[in-house]
Amino acid sequence: MNRKQRRRLQEAFFVGIMRTSLAGACLVLGTILAVITVRGVGALSWEMVSQPPESGFYLGGGGGILNAILGSLALATGATLLAMALAVPLALFMHTYLRSSRIANGIRLVLDVMWGIPSIVYGAFGFALMVFMGLRASLLAGVLTLALVVLPILARTFDEVLMMSPKDLREATLSLGATRLEYLGVLLRQALPGLMTALLLAFGRGIGDAASVLFTAGYTDALPQSLTRPVASLPLAIFYQLSTPFPEVQARAYASALVLTILILVVSLLAQLSARRLGKHVIR
Amino acid sequence: MTALSVRNLNVWYGDKHTLNDVSVEIPLRRITCIIGPSGCGKSTLLKALNRLLDLNDQVKVSGQVRLDDINIYDPGVDVTEVRTRVGLLAQKPFPLPMSIFDNVAYGPRIHGRHNGKIHALVQEQLQAVGLWDEVADRLKAPATSLSVGQQQRLCLARTLSVEPEIVLCDESTASLDPISARGIEGLLCALKDKYTVVLVTHDIDQARRLADHVIFMWLGEVVESAPAGQFFGQPKEELTQAYLAREIG
Repeated sequence: MNRKQRRRLQEAFFVGIMRTSLAGACLVLGTILAVITVRGVGALSWEMVSQPPESGFYLGGGGGILNAILGSLALATGATLLAMALAVPLALFMHTYLRSSRIANGIRLVLDVMWGIPSIVYGAFGFALMVFMGLRASLLAGVLTLALVVLPILARTFDEVLMMSPKDLREATLSLGATRLEYLGVLLRQALPGLMTALLLAFGRGIGDAASVLFTAGYTDALPQSLTRPVASLPLAIFYQLSTPFPEVQARAYASALVLTILILVVSLLAQLSARRLGKHVIR
Repeated sequence: MTALSVRNLNVWYGDKHTLNDVSVEIPLRRITCIIGPSGCGKSTLLKALNRLLDLNDQVKVSGQVRLDDINIYDPGVDVTEVRTRVGLLAQKPFPLPMSIFDNVAYGPRIHGRHNGKIHALVQEQLQAVGLWDEVADRLKAPATSLSVGQQQRLCLARTLSVEPEIVLCDESTASLDPISARGIEGLLCALKDKYTVVLVTHDIDQARRLADHVIFMWLGEVVESAPAGQFFGQPKEELTQAYLAREIG
């Protein structure tokens, strides 16, 4: 085998590995989607997504999972917005004022550790705090706990986005006599598509997380009414329905999973669309 | 008349002594070219003139750069004011992530200098750099949609929009095609009636075409600083003569 043939073979081998990896990832995702679709599509109906559960819902009675859909949206939206309110200034401060200092690297390490902590630990922490403060399981407690789960995701992803922003942007802006705060405004414009991606990641994690809201948000068949009342969520709705011995209720669990997947898909598409619009002026 | 006066300026990047006791005068409303081989400290000197070196945490500066008899490195000096008065045109065109219009309008807006006539001001600056006719019908388009040469003219318009007294140019034609580079050179020549221009270049021919005054640097020190006629006609220092004869570099 001559050198030319060997190089071709090497390329074919590595392209083969990459294609296999791609096929593997698609197969896993496709299988999950196929299972929840096949098992759940039969149970999916307008009634299911437009009504709260009626009595006996978990024994096969009527009603739907609107309580869990709205609850999950409220929990994930509230937690993402709350975490964003902390994460964006934190990431901007690290990028602009602390830069690569020891303090900034220390904060990054703490955020990385927080990212790796299982959400059940946040749930236990939130629960302990609630007991200490004499609070009940509620939407507010769920939002606060879930915000802790998504904060490191948002802060570190946004931090990475800022680190990837062109260095010349700083010089170009400050050389016009801009203050560092004004530079942050320009930097935000540059980083908006990345920020949208970070928000999407955080929202996806928030809406799909069950452990952190298990003790803190509680569960109820009622629609979300108040920050101080318990609220249902889709992951717990899936868990409770799947735990019953009734096949028709289990089928609803898969339908609920399908709804959750569709919700994440819609949010992803919206985020991509807005990132494209917002990224029109971004320097690449 | 002197626009800027540099006195005993020393710059360190970490432990590396990059500028060594530099003292030069930048004449008012003239084009001053700073020439020398790569790594001799040209760009460092240029960026010391409006405190852009401050952006690098590793940099230490001692000495003085006097603008209107104020040392810009004095602790009480407003650095944003310094950078407004001493603007920069970078080596590579770098538009802000905004539309063509907003790139020029950004500076006047943050300084509150447009008096409600922002469109007229943008038009004036784009006309000054010869870009208006090319972009008048697409002012809201992304600045990145322009060609590289157009982007550099846009960046010049953006620099001029805050009405600086001095324009620093860091090899600002180096990344352009020859036609665009000549266009920028022509603009710089036209600017010197109103502005003091300091241009870093490693291109001796460009310095011959543009300079009224030349500063030659070598290994972080100023070897010779003289009016262009004298510098190119009768250079005093042997090192300068050798550099101009392209025997070293």
